[in-house]
Amino acid sequence: MIEKPLISAKNLSVTFLLGKNIFGPKLTIQAVADVTMDIPRKSFFGLVGESGSGKTTFGRALLNAVPISGGNVQYNDDEVSYHLERLTKAELKDYRKRSQLIFQDPYAALSPRMTVRDIIAEPLEVMGLMGSREETDERVREIAEKCRLNLEHLRRFPHAFSGGQRQRISIARALVSNPKFVVADESVAALDVSIQADVLNLLKDLQNELELTYLFISHDLSVVAHVCDNVAVMYLGRLVETAPTRDLFFKPRHPYTKALLSAIPSLDPDHSGNVQKLEGEIPSPASVPSGCTFHTRCPHCNDICKTVEPIVEPVAEGHNVVCHRWKELETPEPAN
Amino acid sequence: MTLLNVENLTVQFDTDEGRITAVDNVSFSLESGQVMGLVGESGSGKSVTAKALMQLNPRNAVYNGQSKISLTLLDDAPIDVLSLKTAKELKVVRGGAVSMIFQEPMASFAPAITIGKQMVEQLVLHKNLTKAQAKKLSVDMLDRVGISEADKRFDQYAFELSGGMRQRAMIAMALSTRPKLLIADEPTTALDVTIQAQVIDLMKDIVAEFGMGIIFITHDLGVIAQTADKIAVMYLGELVEQGSVRDVIRTPAHPYTQGLLNSLPKLEDLDKPLTPIPGDIPSPLERPSGCVFHTRCPQVSMGRCNVDIPPSVHVKDGHKASCFLIGDNGGPKL
Repeated sequence: MIEKPLISAKNLSVTFLLGKNIFGPKLTIQAVADVTMDIPRKSFFGLVGESGSGKTTFGRALLNAVPISGGNVQYNDDEVSYHLERLTKAELKDYRKRSQLIFQDPYAALSPRMTVRDIIAEPLEVMGLMGSREETDERVREIAEKCRLNLEHLRRFPHAFSGGQRQRISIARALVSNPKFVVADESVAALDVSIQADVLNLLKDLQNELELTYLFISHDLSVVAHVCDNVAVMYLGRLVETAPTRDLFFKPRHPYTKALLSAIPSLDPDHSGNVQKLEGEIPSPASVPSGCTFHTRCPHCNDICKTVEPIVEPVAEGHNVVCHRWKELETPEPAN
Repeated sequence: MTLLNVENLTVQFDTDEGRITAVDNVSFSLESGQVMGLVGESGSGKSVTAKALMQLNPRNAVYNGQSKISLTLLDDAPIDVLSLKTAKELKVVRGGAVSMIFQEPMASFAPAITIGKQMVEQLVLHKNLTKAQAKKLSVDMLDRVGISEADKRFDQYAFELSGGMRQRAMIAMALSTRPKLLIADEPTTALDVTIQAQVIDLMKDIVAEFGMGIIFITHDLGVIAQTADKIAVMYLGELVEQGSVRDVIRTPAHPYTQGLLNSLPKLEDLDKPLTPIPGDIPSPLERPSGCVFHTRCPQVSMGRCNVDIPPSVHVKDGHKASCFLIGDNGGPKL
């Protein structure tokens, strides 16, 4: 039997109200539009895109932290199955402990007035998961050890720690309620490179040990390439390409994915790469272009792209692309 | 021509917790038309070094007596930057011959004054132009850095421009006084990759056209590899390695530079596990004795590295690194 994906989003949309004009229509922006995505169990699922592409909003919708405006999201683990767009109060309470978020900035995410022990224990206390203080302490020590924190440190305050240590504290806090699904939103972006690798290795080890499923949101494609097994690329609230990591990086089909990959500065000073430069910038989500939303910046845009919205087309097993012209654009040599 | 010569620069800050060393005995030089990448992690002292060149560090900064920064402008005697005291004397290195591009363009433009007015103001101050001349030059510069409808943008405020546009406007403003030395402090860090690629191209064109010296501060080695001629690597206030970009990136001599390159995720080799540099960056309040990197160095030899300060050793022409292992059995292991 094929295992059901942990998260299965169908045509998920999130719309924000910008403001009302008494005479005119309501002003809205669609931060996430019609996204269909399956996140398999125990996968390290990458979500990439530029700022304003809606990746954070999508992650929050999966955590039920922003209201879902359209479509549906199903959550299935071995014990329970929920429809996120219509959770009852009791279900939501239960879902909160099964799904967690690791924030970007470990300096802003930890209260300076709480000890590390209290920071990690807070979710347990708020959710009322432990019977006694002894049990709570026991659980805090257990997760702190898993996150490679020194037990001595539990009595200290966050200001005493470096960025890497703080991010390990944030991870411990996110994992203390024993979640199945973790959204890591730019969780290594604020860290120095020498520390970044350490936190990524920790996330990977914890995944194996605790059987976690991650949605790893990042703008850094090299990091995503190293840790994720599947990657989805988002542009203006829509998915443009989804594929297993190797397929995406070595055989990208969407012009936007190709441009993103070629924009990564190469470490070789004599190799500037066959860069496919994009003109202009990502349009505002308040005025989404017609047809294919990428057509204003696409080097291969033609008339059909300007008017007709492209549909999801399968390229290979697990590899989907949303582009009118991907077949014509296929080149025999792989892009590096 | 040597444009900038920095010798034994030491910058300390007087704080409530004592005197903190931010930059320790840093020496480097820069030619006109050369781009030097200044690389290091947070707290390595790269921004403090750059700000010292314009004396922009806060008032509690103490420059040690041996520190010397000399700036040679065309057919003039070298200017001893650290001896400049009054605002009037400093005018020559602030916005005139030396310009700076900051990381966050939104924070560096005044929000309630139009872009144009800010550009004109500095030109009138530094270049003795009339307002009309300054406006013409500013619009030209905006156009030059790839901003469409430059005369319209001239009258707009910073919030009306997108992130990439703002950074371009910042570059246009920094270049309009025709500086001899441009300091770019993480100019692409706040930008998306596709915009970053555009700004990198622009910076390359600028060097080709204007021929000034550029100090490019970043923590992204890929950006440096694509833009710089030479590279200086800083760790905890010390310049641990410097040399041409090719030498340093291909054959790094200092264990820190090696560790930094190893910890970068590379697209070419996805199967290679990521190798972090062990441990954390020490606090500047607890600077390690001896070699500052010895607490994290995988090739440390206790008794020497934690006691003596390693000298800066020539690896080969222009490529220098401060590590005891260089010269010992062929240097540190790669």
